[in-house]
Amino acid sequence: MLSPDKNKISTLFLGLLVPLFLLIAMELVGTSEFLPSQIIVPPHRIFAMLVDLLSTGELLTHLRYSIVRVLGGFAIGSGTGFVLGVLMALFPRIERVLAPLLIALNQVPIFGWVPFLMILFGIEEQFKIVFISLAAFFPMLLNTFEGIHGVPRTYLEVARTFEFNHVKLMRKVLFPAALPSIFTGIKLSLGISWMSVIGAELIASSEGIGYLIVWGRQLFQMDIVYVGIITVGTTGYVMYKGLEALEGSLMKWHRKNS
Amino acid sequence: MSNTGALEIRNVRKTYPGKERDVHVLENINLSIKPGEFVSIIGLSGCGKTTLLRHIVGLESEYEGDILLDGKRLNGPSLDRGIVFQDHRLFPWLTVEKNIALGIVGKSEKEKKEIVDSHIELVGLKGFEKSYPYQLSGGMSQRAAIARALVNQPKILLLDEPLGALDALTRMYMHNELERIWEKEKITMIMVTHDVEEALYLSDKIVVMSAKPGRIQKVLNVSLPRPRDRAGHDFADMKEQVLEEFMLHTEHHFSYAI
Repeated sequence: MLSPDKNKISTLFLGLLVPLFLLIAMELVGTSEFLPSQIIVPPHRIFAMLVDLLSTGELLTHLRYSIVRVLGGFAIGSGTGFVLGVLMALFPRIERVLAPLLIALNQVPIFGWVPFLMILFGIEEQFKIVFISLAAFFPMLLNTFEGIHGVPRTYLEVARTFEFNHVKLMRKVLFPAALPSIFTGIKLSLGISWMSVIGAELIASSEGIGYLIVWGRQLFQMDIVYVGIITVGTTGYVMYKGLEALEGSLMKWHRKNS
Repeated sequence: MSNTGALEIRNVRKTYPGKERDVHVLENINLSIKPGEFVSIIGLSGCGKTTLLRHIVGLESEYEGDILLDGKRLNGPSLDRGIVFQDHRLFPWLTVEKNIALGIVGKSEKEKKEIVDSHIELVGLKGFEKSYPYQLSGGMSQRAAIARALVNQPKILLLDEPLGALDALTRMYMHNELERIWEKEKITMIMVTHDVEEALYLSDKIVVMSAKPGRIQKVLNVSLPRPRDRAGHDFADMKEQVLEEFMLHTEHHFSYAI
């Protein structure tokens, strides 16, 4: 039997196996010039560029731009999605009126909105925030709705026998029961916000991680592109893990249950 | 303790509209239950016993005829009737004490705590106040569910196959516990079960129901002194009587002579 600590370490190690293998492979391919090293940059040069961009503060400045945009768009989009999801779950009439439209809109890939949004909002901050909000909106809406709508009838019957009023029903039954689903919505919504900020910055921007990637390509400096991609992946991973940790501490009962 | 809790069921009839013809779930149900009586409703699956119970608790409120509690016709759930379901239906996100406190209304925090503590004591869950439902065994969960149903001092406690999911030994142990709680609280208890021995061990009165349409086949009074002896001769005799109602009794072709 492994102790929990050892278990954690061995899980971490297993997760690093494949990335490590890829790095070694890249190093071998890159240094052997089997493929041009401008395209498959050996990791030691990517690492040098990473250190360089970190020491000049450039990387963190770009990262800050992207994160601020994500937080703004995510807050607006997921907030709206949450409120609308709750309303639709509680009032069938609202659901009947809005569901067809929302289902149809949800079929449009997020990048399908770009031309339309550009005409409406230009290509500056406003465009990016609206674009991210739109991306964050749907997963939050759907998961909030499903969570509250899907609260087991058995729990509602318990609430009825105790004559819960509406406020008590929401606070004591609907929200806690829907929380796991709402959290799934938050995780998906933040993830997709992060993807769309990079997308928006690739399209039109003069700062941010997405811009850094485009800029690297324009200079044909693939090491900058790699640093950008690694930063996007790592930041997204940290956000996801952070939310997971928060979820675990908020809902101990849920993990044990399922 | 209140000496009310008299239930009068008169000509109750319940039909669900079916595709070809209506389904008669309950037909001509007449039954009087005295305050403080322990009554079991027993019958095969589909005889309408759970439907009848759900009408008494008020989760189903459309019916023909009258169900009167202390002379008042029932219409919907109320705090004067508590219910314990077969699946304990504790809220998984709340601790035992919070689950039990759930139904208490109009009390100060201090009074609430006293009520919760005394009921935890009553059902023998001391030391498990802070546990979550996933940490409890089946028997302990049902104890918590019983406590939750009793906090508002209902006139009637309804039990819908409360021990159906427990193993045989825990079940017998819970029979003693239920009897002890019933004697201490002095309230009317109505239990739906399909276990003949359970009904005999606990009840003053056994209502045998038959199916299609669901109706009362026979009402048997059990006057055996308490605590009852499951291995006793009178107990066995009564058991034969009940089983006869289901055509399940053993034929004795001869008797012993000295």
